[in-house]
Amino acid sequence: MTPPLDRLRALRADGGLAAAYPEVPGLLADLLDDADPARRTGDLCRAGRLLAGAGPEAVLRHHPDTPVLTVAITGQSTVGELVDPLTAELARHGLLLRPVLGDFGGYLRDLTDPAGPLHPAAPDLALCLLDAETVFAEVPTPWQPEDVADAAARVLGRLAGLAAEYRRISAGTLVLNTVPLLRTHSHQLVDHRSRARLGAVWREFNAGLLRLAEEHPALVVIDLDPLVADGGPAHDPRLAAYAKARLSGPLLAAYAREIGHLGRALRGKARKCLVLDLDQTLWDGVLAEDGPDGVAAAGTLRGEAFGGFQRHVRQLASQGVLLAVSSKNDRAQVLETLRDHPDLVLREPDFVRVNADWSDKAGHLLDIADALGLAPDALVFADDSPAERARVRHGVPGAVVLPLDEEPALHPVRLLADGWFDVPRLTEEDRDRTAQYRTEGERRRLREGSGSFEEFLAGLGVTVEVSPPAPHEYPRLAQLTQRTNQFNLTGLRLQPAEPARLAADPGRLVLAVRSADRFGPNGLVGAVLGRRADNRLLLENVWLSCRVLTRGIEQACLAALLAHAAATGLRAVDARYRPTARNRRARDFYPALGFTEIAREGDQVYYRHDLTECPDTPGHIRLDLRVEGTAHA
Amino acid sequence: MRETDSLEAFLQLVGEELDLAVGAGDADRDLADLPGWDSMNLLRLVTLLEAETGRRLPVHAVLEARSLAEIHSVLERQA
Repeated sequence: MTPPLDRLRALRADGGLAAAYPEVPGLLADLLDDADPARRTGDLCRAGRLLAGAGPEAVLRHHPDTPVLTVAITGQSTVGELVDPLTAELARHGLLLRPVLGDFGGYLRDLTDPAGPLHPAAPDLALCLLDAETVFAEVPTPWQPEDVADAAARVLGRLAGLAAEYRRISAGTLVLNTVPLLRTHSHQLVDHRSRARLGAVWREFNAGLLRLAEEHPALVVIDLDPLVADGGPAHDPRLAAYAKARLSGPLLAAYAREIGHLGRALRGKARKCLVLDLDQTLWDGVLAEDGPDGVAAAGTLRGEAFGGFQRHVRQLASQGVLLAVSSKNDRAQVLETLRDHPDLVLREPDFVRVNADWSDKAGHLLDIADALGLAPDALVFADDSPAERARVRHGVPGAVVLPLDEEPALHPVRLLADGWFDVPRLTEEDRDRTAQYRTEGERRRLREGSGSFEEFLAGLGVTVEVSPPAPHEYPRLAQLTQRTNQFNLTGLRLQPAEPARLAADPGRLVLAVRSADRFGPNGLVGAVLGRRADNRLLLENVWLSCRVLTRGIEQACLAALLAHAAATGLRAVDARYRPTARNRRARDFYPALGFTEIAREGDQVYYRHDLTECPDTPGHIRLDLRVEGTAHA
Repeated sequence: MRETDSLEAFLQLVGEELDLAVGAGDADRDLADLPGWDSMNLLRLVTLLEAETGRRLPVHAVLEARSLAEIHSVLERQA
């Protein structure tokens, strides 16, 4: 097999790289898997160079549906070096980078001037790279820690103003970063007391930066400290001096990886479920050979390392990452071990699904995805066996495969090397997602015990509440739009700051859909976004979580909304469907409710409902609609 | 580590790593006139050449070079 980088070079040389873009995520996964660890960062950057050279517009000519992320890049210093690694990191997720570079050193103007070089491109993300010079440019020579404290306070005030102003003029996400303290600064002070004071002042500046994210929903602050601790050095003094490139190549590469996952989350490609092998992944030993007493996750040095890994996994699960097991073992023995083994941190109820038998693991993963109503590309699979990983990589397209090996102390490093489960912000729904999916099992049993589907729905006792979102629901609403693919009628995603802006706009209609059934509340499961135009309502998009699809909730919402429109004297409700890679099943949603097609533009279909005959609300649903502030209400 | 001693090998390395179409005739061209050249390429070259040759380069000299041949002679002086 050709090494992935050679394949990319060959494609680039014969002009075929843009056309082969769908192949790129797989090639980059292979590249990261195969490459000598010392070359990994460099090779990924080289791949990024080739992809950036091919250009986003050429890729879009061949593959117009490729999701694009427009990223403004500006900062204190030279920032162009970020383009190659960021191109590659986004390409790993199937995203296309459209970079817009600001003027070096001009970040304040770049980001606050609506007519400047960045804003006209309407960036999804604006990266403002800060470095030590951001503060030290304002420190006199000679200096004392107090001079740094004064400068840091001024800079922090300015950045807080920047975050507020950016939020006012842009719907995109602004990204700042903490700034590593360099030895060439700290050790200019020769006495330990002053040096300690500088360290404290510097950390207060970084802490202030991190706290800005609490006040500004559309601000992300990337903490560079863990990245430096992992990879150092933070800068190359020669490139800093001569080229004003003040963050090192390896640090920018690590930063690009964080941004890649942020972009992926914003584009609705969040990974949702971690599928774990058992033998040599969660415990030391082989269950079928050693028996339950022969496997360990505590008590021995190696066993404790596995126990440590289980705690890492449990920590992820507590934040909404679903866990499942794929193990080649006897199912009864696995369940018994998960229930009774004294060493385990993770127990059977921590998993939404346990697939333990002797069948193929690719089949396990497809079954898990199917049972959870997820696409295979929402899965992350961790296994110590190269053969099983290869099976899954080729048998489950889109699933991420984490290469664990025989060293369990490295399992957590491998698990967290990529932020596969990163989300802009956690919501209440995330914290009890596992419980939600397990309740799903009870619903399935009710379904299996019911004669017809109608009987099942009648027994489910679905209640739906539709009303404008309360401010505390804004983060969940944005998250829903980012995570929902199948029932997302135009593919639209809202960024974290957008729900508040839209809800404040009197010309807009924003509704949150919450549902519950006899097994408990489902939480905020859907949203409607509309625009009011004289005597008409234009439905810009409707989202519904795949967890509650096929229960008639989406039909009930629209039926109620149409009835409300008719009752308040509107003349029509318009709607739009734009096909995406994943929303085919929503294609007939509007026509089935009595909408008629009025126009087509490219692949988009425009519909109108004239409100003469409104559809019935499905009988098994009790729905409460409250539309405040309608122009006609 | 790769061969960068001859000007030819150096040009090939530069072409491949920087994704530029450069041939023997481009060695003495002004960098700004090379098709596809951008200012970040000098920075990339410093990082790359140091990694490939294991030598420390005088960064200011690379940044001040006007042509690929000049960069190559900086490299030779460090050999």
